[in-house]
Amino acid sequence: MLLRAEGISMNFGGFTAVAGASLEIEPGEIVGIIGPNGAGKSTFFGCLVGDLKATAGQVRFLDHEVTHRSPEHHARLGMARTFQVPQTFEDLTVLENVMVGALLRHPRAAEARRFAQGLLEFAGLAGAAANKAGSLGTPGRKRLEIARALATEPKLLLLDEALAGLTPTEIHTAIELVRAIHARGIALVIIEHIMEVIVTLAQRVIVFNQGKIIAGGLPGNVMRDEQVVAAYLGSHGRRARVPFDA
Amino acid sequence: MRPSTLARLRAAAACAGFVALCAYPIAVTNPYYARIGGLVLLSAISASAWNIVGGYAGQVSIGHSMFFGLGAYLPLVLYSNWQLPPTLGVPMGILLAVFLAVLVGFPAFRLQGHYFSMATIAVAELIRLLVSNWDLFGAAIGVRGPAVSRTVWDFAFRSVVPYYYLFLAGLAAVLGTTRLIERSRMGYYLRAIKSGEGAARSLGVPSRRYKLYALMVSAAFASLAGSFYALWIGFADTSSTLGILVSVEMVIVTALGGAGTLYGPLIGALILIPLQNFSNVLFGAGGTGLTFLMYGGIIVIISRFEPGGLVHLWQHRLRPLIRSA
Repeated sequence: MLLRAEGISMNFGGFTAVAGASLEIEPGEIVGIIGPNGAGKSTFFGCLVGDLKATAGQVRFLDHEVTHRSPEHHARLGMARTFQVPQTFEDLTVLENVMVGALLRHPRAAEARRFAQGLLEFAGLAGAAANKAGSLGTPGRKRLEIARALATEPKLLLLDEALAGLTPTEIHTAIELVRAIHARGIALVIIEHIMEVIVTLAQRVIVFNQGKIIAGGLPGNVMRDEQVVAAYLGSHGRRARVPFDA
Repeated sequence: MRPSTLARLRAAAACAGFVALCAYPIAVTNPYYARIGGLVLLSAISASAWNIVGGYAGQVSIGHSMFFGLGAYLPLVLYSNWQLPPTLGVPMGILLAVFLAVLVGFPAFRLQGHYFSMATIAVAELIRLLVSNWDLFGAAIGVRGPAVSRTVWDFAFRSVVPYYYLFLAGLAAVLGTTRLIERSRMGYYLRAIKSGEGAARSLGVPSRRYKLYALMVSAAFASLAGSFYALWIGFADTSSTLGILVSVEMVIVTALGGAGTLYGPLIGALILIPLQNFSNVLFGAGGTGLTFLMYGGIIVIISRFEPGGLVHLWQHRLRPLIRSA
């Protein structure tokens, strides 16, 4: 077992954003998290990566209790993540961005640089290595975030809407990148609004609504679940309008 | 202009600058100008020290006077209370400054941005008030050093020349240390923290620890600058070594030259310190407060037009212009 989150709840004041959500991830798995806006996906994600300290429940990663540990502790153990709104280091070059990640396991700058260069090739960013990260467009930034996260040599990579805001062609190349990451033996958790992505990539999907996990299983089956359809379209939506042709 | 020509020009300019810095007190015998040379170096040391935590790590401390003041007071307090050689206070000042950095940094680095700056101001002011009421530290009057050297350990000279070279060695030490940090893991981590602390932490950067390291190194050199000041001037009181203007000067000098660049603070000091002294001479006692006015003006101009300072201006506006010429 790579990750085991049990009964995670997160309250902000009186508001319960996540209520008793559980998730288990095996090594090498790709798990999709979907749900309408405000369903609690990102809050749950925050609890998994250490940004938020869950008010109840427990997160274990590689048999370490990490519920209340810092994000940097998660990274050291082998959990990496990207941000919904890319947070690349704008004043650093593309190569230096990846080096910051690589320095975690390669403390010497020269080694980290070599390792980072390899990852830039992998992510298709080698041509922009010497440019400032601030000069990249959205697709480039998202790729850079992925390359930077991979540089920490994670066992589990969590992508928070890594493909949102991309054109169909860009999404296609990004899907190829995610597949290549998976081929390296890295497990992935993908939060995504774009159904096409989840259906093509995820082996298993969990669906959030109003802070609770309402369904889980194979993407095809989940998309036909009554509750899921109701959560997305309202319970009076006609069956003929089911948008997920999985 | 070809890049290789530009690189050669740059190397030549660096050599000329180095020779000029070394030869200055020998070439310039006028005591007024020699004194300005010493002041420029002192300011360059303290601003370079500030640059490590304020420029590279982006943690804008406006309380660095506490480290400078500690370094300035300690040698003179040792002399005026127990007739000990002031130079003994230099390493002691550095040790205490590092200790103070841990004491202040540990809680203060929980705060972000302006809140961190405000916390540093508060601590520095607290220390200033404490010292100005403490007889051991000369209270409101201040403390003096020896007028004439008893032994070489008193390091009291009439001429500015020995001080000048001592300061030059100190500047080389702080710039060398900065260069080492810049090229190592710590340098990358500090710049990452400045650019986005949340993202840095997600990549395994223990940000609070690295900010603390940066503050400790920075405090050590700020204290060294204070000690140099005390050895040279032979007098310290709260307003000249612990006042907020001492902290603000480090910020302005660094920002003018280029925060987070190796030579930015030196360039800033080379411009601002002579300007300050000439304006003092020009306007005399009637111009008290003119320094504040100048600082204010510089803040406005830099933050409006070139937040990266002069080094950035050169790298991004002027150099491309020359290249295309």
